[in-house]
Order: sequence, then structure tokens, then C-alpha cells
Amino acid sequence: MSTSSNASHWDIFCTVVDNYGDIGVTWRLAKQLVNEYHIPIILWVDDLNSFSHILPTLNPKLVSQCFNGVIINHWTTPLAIPYLPGKVLIEAFACELPDEVKLQLATLHKTTPQAVPLWLNLEYLSAEDWVDGCHGLPSMQVSGIKKYFYFPGFTPKTGGLICERELFAERDTWQQDSANKLQLFESLGLKDIQAQDCVFSIFSYETDSLPALCELWQASAREDAKIHALLPKGRSLNSLQHLLPCPVDALMPGQQIMLGYLTLHILPMTDQQGFDRLLWSCDVNIVRGEDSFLRAQWAAKPFIWHIYPQEDDYHLIKLEAFIRLYCDNLAPDIADTWSKLNFAFNQGEQSAVKTHWQNLNPVSLPLLQHAKEWPIDAINAADLATRLVQFVKKS
Amino acid sequence: MKTAHEIRPGNVIMFEGSPWVVQKTETTRSGRNAAIVKLKLKNLLLNSGTETTFKGEDKLDDIILDRLDCTYSYFADPMYVFMDAEYNQYDVEAENLGDAAAYIVDGMEETCQVTFYEGKAISVEMPTTIVREVIYTEPSARGDTSGKVMKPATITGGGTISVADFVKVGDKIEIDTRTGEFKKRV
Repeated sequence: MSTSSNASHWDIFCTVVDNYGDIGVTWRLAKQLVNEYHIPIILWVDDLNSFSHILPTLNPKLVSQCFNGVIINHWTTPLAIPYLPGKVLIEAFACELPDEVKLQLATLHKTTPQAVPLWLNLEYLSAEDWVDGCHGLPSMQVSGIKKYFYFPGFTPKTGGLICERELFAERDTWQQDSANKLQLFESLGLKDIQAQDCVFSIFSYETDSLPALCELWQASAREDAKIHALLPKGRSLNSLQHLLPCPVDALMPGQQIMLGYLTLHILPMTDQQGFDRLLWSCDVNIVRGEDSFLRAQWAAKPFIWHIYPQEDDYHLIKLEAFIRLYCDNLAPDIADTWSKLNFAFNQGEQSAVKTHWQNLNPVSLPLLQHAKEWPIDAINAADLATRLVQFVKKS
Repeated sequence: MKTAHEIRPGNVIMFEGSPWVVQKTETTRSGRNAAIVKLKLKNLLLNSGTETTFKGEDKLDDIILDRLDCTYSYFADPMYVFMDAEYNQYDVEAENLGDAAAYIVDGMEETCQVTFYEGKAISVEMPTTIVREVIYTEPSARGDTSGKVMKPATITGGGTISVADFVKVGDKIEIDTRTGEFKKRV
């Protein structure tokens, strides 16, 4: 497939850092901009193999292909397909643009500055206060071109949160009928899950908190109230190796590991819609990073956020900032329990994780109610794509 | 060239043919340990201000201007007056000191560097490390001794910085003027 020049198109460059996070966010944004704003999008991705895990029909061997109206180009070094400047150029998560692209921009700036695309750095999501003051600021590059920092966020002064227009309506329809979740579990090859069972999805980094929770669930599951933990192959399972009958690599999707009345189910990889539906269908979701963290909020279910660990425990500051926002309208006792559970999970404090999980039981209904109300508050009038399009128009 | 992370208040950087004095720097952490540096700048030709953001590793074209070692002499609103070893006095606008103003106190002995542009004193760089006394802070709330729990403290001169929870009123503390961070109790 060729990449024809179209002055109105937007380019999004994404390097895959942690399998599904960065590419997950940019893929959702690209699809939404095409679907809802009819903007031609070219998504440049350096690792198509990882991308194919969340877009199974993608062919990692092709340099260019089209899905959901988005042209997906393999970002090779040097570029196999020439970059043709469009209206907007987004570098996702501060990735370093290819040299030939930067050179092209600099040349364009000297010869026909009006043809230089609006250059944006789409940053990571954070609930910290400083984001308000940094969103939308220009960054003066040595070439003389201004690049703008675009910060997603939870307040009106930020760039907003990725959320498709029809998402909440689709979720509500899905959650109204419990048959949907049972059908989904069956389609994923997950056996013996009944409507009344507790089902938890787990998509975390490695942590000592998981064995502690499994130990607790093993002790608390009963014949009439079984517990199912759903985990994809990957980092969460690395923490549970001692409970597994074989190495993580040898596990098969659909495989069950029975631990009394607790069952671990190995999830197959699924596309983004499938992942959303999985989150909508579970009672509690343990999620990580940015993309699944946001989708867990949109699932309107209680969740634990395993935040990407940073040097000097800086991630705990980011976690605290989010918890402060999330708990703003939450009764103090519930907020306290949920907050402590999240901190304990992130710090791998096994005993505390178990204690706070147990304390969550009496407040599970009001926490669920809060989880249902939160998405409307968090969107704050306009989602990220809407704000981004407005930002481009104003610039 | 300096990285954005290395830029300090008082530095002068060149953009689009204009020199800009850095009045304030604010470093925060984005995802995956990446630093974000927000700068408050003043255009030395147009006298106009702006705010801008950089990745920590972005290269900036800092320009080397004439500098002189000076000591702080006195404040004559809105100018801070500095003096060199030969007792020449130089006035620097308070606005141009940016964050550094928080560390200026009467009788301070630290040597600062006054920067000149076309013969005019335009900014001041503080020493990398200074020692100041804490004149107000709340008592330790949690008895933390790790240094990881922080609380606000007012230092001599009236500036406020985050200090470790164990710091008390009257303590002398070392501050990194590049970041405004508390380093240790001395």
C-alpha cells in the first residue's frame, strides 16, 4: 500500500516500549480520530510484532497496511516509506522522531514555513497538579520550529482523556445482561465460570502482592462462591510461578490452574474491544500502566492500579495524585480503604494487601457505585480527541 | 549547548535570533522516568515574557555572556544591587532573578555570578549549593526518619521549599539552587 501525500492528514509516531501501553493509547486515538472526526491518520510504529498482539489481523511483515481506516506504516530506520508532511505531526510519549523527518521539518521551516505541520508531543497521563501549567505550552526547538506539549489529564486545563463517543452506552448495554459476560468468557475459552462467581482480571507488572492475594482468595473461596482470576501470559504470571504446573512460557490460553475453589485462567490475547469487554465483565480489575488503567476506569468497576515504577518511588507521587482525585467524592472510610489497598499493592506489602482487600468487602457496593459515577466526572465535558482537534484548530 | 535539565535561572538561551534570560525553571517527572522542564523566559530585546516546556534531554543553545563574581549588597525596590571585588555596583531587576530571589538574604556571603548583556547586568546565578536556616516548619507529623516524607518549610529570606519530615525550626539545611531541592541537614 502506498502512502499518498495528503496535506490534511495527521502522522502519529509511536515506539513500542512496554508491549501494549504506548501502542494501545496511540492505536485507540488513531481509530477515534478517523471514526469520529474523519481525519486521515498515518500511524508509524516501530514494532509491528507487539502491535499484532492487540491487532491480531496485522501482518508484521508488511511495511504499510490499513485497518479501521488508519494507515499503519512500519517505522524502520531509515524509513522504508518516505514521510510526507501533513497537517499535524504527533510524537507519542516523547519518542524521538526519525532523523530524516526532523531534517525535512527543518528544511520546510526555512523554505515554506507555512507548510510545517503542527508538531505535538503527546505526553503520558498524570493527575499531578503541574500538568495544568504545562499542557499546551510551546517548546522552542533549535531548528526554530515550535513543538507543543500535549498533556492528557483529568482537569479542564489539560488535554483530556481518550474515550470514544459511544463507549459508555456500549458498556451500559453490555453490563445490563449478565449473559454477555458468560458468553465472552466462553468465547475466550474460559470454562466453568458461573454468573454468581467472583471474577477478577489481572494485568499487572511483577509484584509480591499477587501471590498474597491468591493466597487470600484460596482461603476465602467457597463451593457456592468460587473465585476466578483471569491472567494473560506475561508479567503478572511471572509472580505466580510457584503456583503454576509449568513455566509461564509453556502455559496455554484457556488453561486452568485449580487452587481449591480459586481458579487461575490463562487468557488468550484479545483486541482492544475484547479487552474492554473483559474489563466490563469482571468484578474487580487489576490493571497497569496507562491504557489499561484508563480503560479500567471506563469499565465502571472497582480496580487496583499497578502504576509503572519509577526511580526514587516517584510513581507513588503520581499514584497519590490520582487517588486524591478519584476519592474526592468518596466517603472517607471507603476512600481510605481503597487508597491503602492501592498503595500496599504497589509497594508489594503482602500482609497489608490482604488486610485492605478484606476491608474492601463491606464497602464493595458503594465503591462499585462510585466506579459507575466516576467516568462522567473524569471526562470533564470533553474527551482527549475532541480537545485535541480543538487545540489544532486554535493553533 | 546545554540540556534543558542543566539550564538554571540566570542562564541566557538563544532562540530565533533573540536572547532569552531564564527566570524560573521547574522540573517534573513524566512517565517512564522522563524529565519535563518548564522554563519561564524573558526576551532581552523585546522585554516580553513567555513560558515553554522541554524534554529534559532537549538541547538548548545557551550563550556565554560576560560574567562577574559578585556579592549581594542590598535591595532597592525593584532592583537587587550586587558588588564586585572592586566595589563596582550592578543593578539587576528583581523579576530577572526568578527563583534565585528566594535565596537572597541580607548579609549573605556566597559569591553569585552576575551576567551581562551589552553592558547591562541582566541576571544572577546563585552557587549550586547554599545553606539556609529553617525559620518555620510544622513539627514532624509521622516521626519519619527516612527522608522520603516531605513537608513545606520557610527559609531565611522567606522562600518556601520541601524538606524532609525530620527537619526542625532552626535547622540549617543545604539546598540545590538548580532544582530548589532540599539536599540534607547540616
